[in-house]
Formats: sequence, structure tokens, C-alpha cells
Amino acid sequence: MDASWKLTEAQLREWLQGLLEKYDVVAPAEEDGVVLFSRITSEDEAIVEPSGKTRWSPKEFLFPRTEALYHYTFGSGKVQLEDPSLPERPQVLFGVRSCDASGLVRLDEIFLSGTTDRLYAARRENTTVVTTACAAADPECFCTAVGGSPVGEEGSDVQLVPLVEGWLLRVLTDTGRDLVGEAKGDWSAATAKDVKRLPALEKKVSKEIERSPVNKEWSKVLEEGFEHGVWNRLSHQCLGCSICAYVCPSCSCFDMNHNGNAWSGAQNRSWDACTFPLFTLHASGHNPRTTGHERYRQRVLHKFAFRGDEDEPFRCVGCGRCVALCPAGLDIVNTVAAAVDAIREEGADAAR
Amino acid sequence: MPLAETVPNPYQPKLMRIQEYTDETPDVRTLKLQFVDGDEAADFGGWEPGQFGQFTVFGAGESVFALANAPWRPNGDHGAEPTIECTFRMVGKVTSALRAMSKGQVIGFRGPYGNHFPVDGWKGKGLVFIGGGIGMAALRSAMLDVINRKSEYGEVVILNGARSVADLVYTEEMPAWQEVDGVRVVRTVDPGGETEDWDGEVGLLPNVFEKLGLDPEGRIVIACGPPIMLHYLFLSLGKVGYSPDQVVTTLENKMKCGIGHCGRCYVGPFSVCRDGPVVTWAELNELPKDY
Repeated sequence: MDASWKLTEAQLREWLQGLLEKYDVVAPAEEDGVVLFSRITSEDEAIVEPSGKTRWSPKEFLFPRTEALYHYTFGSGKVQLEDPSLPERPQVLFGVRSCDASGLVRLDEIFLSGTTDRLYAARRENTTVVTTACAAADPECFCTAVGGSPVGEEGSDVQLVPLVEGWLLRVLTDTGRDLVGEAKGDWSAATAKDVKRLPALEKKVSKEIERSPVNKEWSKVLEEGFEHGVWNRLSHQCLGCSICAYVCPSCSCFDMNHNGNAWSGAQNRSWDACTFPLFTLHASGHNPRTTGHERYRQRVLHKFAFRGDEDEPFRCVGCGRCVALCPAGLDIVNTVAAAVDAIREEGADAAR
Repeated sequence: MPLAETVPNPYQPKLMRIQEYTDETPDVRTLKLQFVDGDEAADFGGWEPGQFGQFTVFGAGESVFALANAPWRPNGDHGAEPTIECTFRMVGKVTSALRAMSKGQVIGFRGPYGNHFPVDGWKGKGLVFIGGGIGMAALRSAMLDVINRKSEYGEVVILNGARSVADLVYTEEMPAWQEVDGVRVVRTVDPGGETEDWDGEVGLLPNVFEKLGLDPEGRIVIACGPPIMLHYLFLSLGKVGYSPDQVVTTLENKMKCGIGHCGRCYVGPFSVCRDGPVVTWAELNELPKDY
């Protein structure tokens, strides 16, 4: 499966333009000075660079910010229900960073486990992911601290690796092979030297990420220190704005609400966040998480604790967006490290 | 075949008609529902006591209620038409809209969801059902299942408490439960909640439970009520000598999806809608205090 080619920038652009004939292509593109994943209509809109990331993750193309789960109409004394239509054209997510591709796999673990989410499954099945390995780290990046890699393959069908000049293209799955299709006709095969670029980049970028790794054994420490007073101290800055959840590639919590009138309506869902006070409010008025520190703790622990077994990955993929965009300057890796230190030093039940 | 064509939409409810309702208290009502579509009724797989459903008022939203009548089992002894009952208190947007509906109107139902009470595992044991307020709704399916085949179980004590006499639910049917051999119903209201002709106990549920002096040997306690009641009830249970694995409860966290996806009802690693709602006191002790 590991077929590799070396492409010039022009060849890459030609391939991308060709994809537009058959696929809806979503790629990083500039919008009002911000780089965001958008549906492109021409290859020159796509920003495919050796490093740098979009403001938001691409998760909304599998799990939209808001969508109807079904529609209903009232007429002649009857209620009629209708499923939303499913995507017809296949979709390519192009230029996805390794961290974001891992984020999509974390979403799969939620939406495709137990009861399958039909809408998510339909989009997922219809989607091919082309990742771009990183030749440099952004200041907020910390994928290597949470088990990821700047050249990681998780969730990737085709991987693009920036060479000093041009790109190494690696096919990683059957779906990826279909995407390359006939286009490879005039591409040259990758050399052993090109392939060596992978470990070289991994080493270089890992060095740029100056963060101590989060130890998997810390999950248990965090769980034991659930009621430790440190959470009060660590969450003081949190404003509860939930930007961290909205930009997170792996956050999957959602709300469900009816929008309707006397004739028709829909059951909708939209992104939600455990850092909002209404998230867990019962109709009776009871709320298990009335304080900000309980909500912030939930967010941190859902990413870094309560893993089923040792092999289960953290639910944080290390993109660092929540660190870069937090208006209060909170840093989830520092929070975890500080919590673990305090719990270990003061004991699991120390002062509230 | 593309996956999406073989996967049903988990969020699309079945349509159900309100056949009848009973007003239990000024703000609590029990609905009796039947499937609008005969094919959906025929395909219905039934439920086990302790499971719950998502009930839709189109235009208002969804609410979670326990499936409150005796379990409908596909090969069980029952009428041909599956009937679902739910008891709800009018407290919010959806339940207010539901309360305003009349007989013959159509609502949505999806479920059953969650795990269930191990009713078959309790055979031969004495059972103590303790329900506070509308917490009785989550126990009623199990109580009726057990009463319907009482010969398979030991003594059944039903301890029902409420804030006041007016807040007691299922009062009309309780005398009939009492008449079954080996079933004892004890009712209590909080001090100040009694009326002049009240013939039951006066006192908080945990205190009344202690006074009953029920020997823990060979018994299972099944309790449901507000968090504060459970807190004090567990203290009483410990005092009387019940071990945590003899006590079963059902958790009520805010839920939206019902299938473990929306992230709302987590208690640590435990998704109440998917892994619960039924838990033993022993299991609850392993979870963080986040409910």
C-alpha cells in the first residue's frame, strides 16, 4: 500500500484541480485574513504550505456546527417525518494537519460506536482525507506531548510531505489509492532519500515543540484527585466562553433543539460545550456542575483521564488551538501538569 | 451498498397516540400511548424495567421519561398492542407543552434506551422499593413486573414518600398492589405535608426506612429519588447493615441524545444513558461525585 511519488508544486496543483471534477474539495483558504477550511472551486484558492494551521479544525465538514436530524410537517391531522438528504458527491478534505486527522478519528470513536450516527457515517464514508505533514511547529503546537507526531498517519488516506523542493506523496489506504487514480501517470517515483525526509522532519519539528510529554499514567492521578482543591485554583481564569471546545478537533458534544412553527419544523443539533453552565442543568433545577471549576475540570479530564485502558489515546490531539485562542491564557498542558503535581504533593483529598 | 442506506436514523422517533391519561397530582400526569403505525407496533421489541425513552412534542422538543408500565416483552403475556406509559412532572418547556396535549394527539417516542434492573437476578429475594416523589416512576415498571409474578420473589415492601399528601403518585392503583399476598405498601409524607385524614407515616424516607427494621439478609433495595434523598438514604442503609452491592438505584442526569454521543450525561467515564441508568450503590461509589 505504501506507494510513494515525488511531485513538483505544479504537479500537486494539477492533481488538486483534477480532483474538483469529481469531488467536493475542502481545503485551507483565506477568508477576511483568516485561513479556514472552505469548499474551494479552483485549486488556486487552496493554501497548501509546509507548515501552519487553520483557525478552526475541519471537523465541521463531518459534524456541522448546526444541522437538522429530521424534519416534520403537520397536515390534515397527521404528523409526517422526513430524514435529511445525504451527501451525493464524494468529499476530499485536502491539506489536513496530522493533529486534525487524529481529531477526526476521535470523532469516529464517538459517532460510529454503539448506535451509529447515520448522518455522520454517511459523510465519513464519503470522505477522503489528504494530510500535510508539518515542516515546522506553530508556537502553540504540542502534538508530540500527547502521543501524536508532526508526520503522523492516523486518519490519513494520502499523506503529503513537504520536501525541500516539491512534495512527497504517500498513498496510505485503498481510498487514497482511488484518489490518486490515473493522475500518477507523469509523476516520478519517490527515492529512498525522499522517504528519509519523514524521520528527519519528525526529529526537527519535535525539537521545536518545547513541551514535556503528558504521561499516560497521569490519567489515574487526575481521576484520584477529582475532588482536590487544585481545580479551584487552576480554573480561576476560565471565563466559560467555550472557545476551546469550538476550535477543538476532537470535541464532539452537542445540543438538540426543536425549531418549528404550527406547520413544520426540525429537530436540530448544534455544537455545545461542557464548559457552559446550562450543559448539565436538569429541568428540576438540580445541576451537578454548578461552579466553573467543576466544568473546567470536566473538560480537562474528558481529554486526559477516564480512558478505558492504557492503550486508549488521549482525547486531546495537541493542535494547540485552545491554547492560542483562550482569552484568559489558559493552557491545558500546563493545567494537567500543575494538577498532577498538586495531587501528588498534597494527596488526592487535599483542601478544597 | 452504501452504509448510510442500511443504517436507520437513530434520532427519528416513532409516532405514538395519547390513548388516555391520569392526573396523579396537580403537576404530575401519566400518559398511556400506542403506536400510530401498525407495522411499527408489530416491530417493537419491547423493554425491560428501568429502561427509558425520549418523548417528543413536535415543535417543543424532547424529554426523557422512564418507561413506567409493566415491561412489554415480545413473547410475554400481554395484549397484542404494545402500550407505553410514562409519568412526568410539568417543569419545563417540553413537559408544559406535553401537559397541554389532549387524548388522540400524536407525540414522538424513541427508545428504549439504557440498561435495566436485573429483575430475573432478584428471584427468591425480598425486595424493598423506595421511591421519593416522582422517583416512583422509574421504579413502577419493575414493581409491576415483580407483583405480576410475585410467587417468584420473597416479601415485597414498597416505601413511597413525597413532600405532601397531594404530591403522592399512583395513589389510585396502590390499594390493588397491597392486596397481592406478600406485598406491603408503606407511605410517608414530609413533616408538615400531612392532611387531617392522613393514615400513613409522617417523616423523611430514610428515617421511616430505618424504623421499618428490615433485616438486610436476603434482601435487595431498589431506590430512586432526588440526589439529596439518596444521600441520606445511603447513610441509613449503611447504618442498618446493607452492603453497597445489595442496593440498586437509577441515575438521572441531563440527557439529550440517549445513545452516548452528545456528552451531556457523563459521570467520569460513565455515560448515564448508555452505561446506565441503573447502577448499584457499589458501582456508584467507584464513580466521581458528578451527578
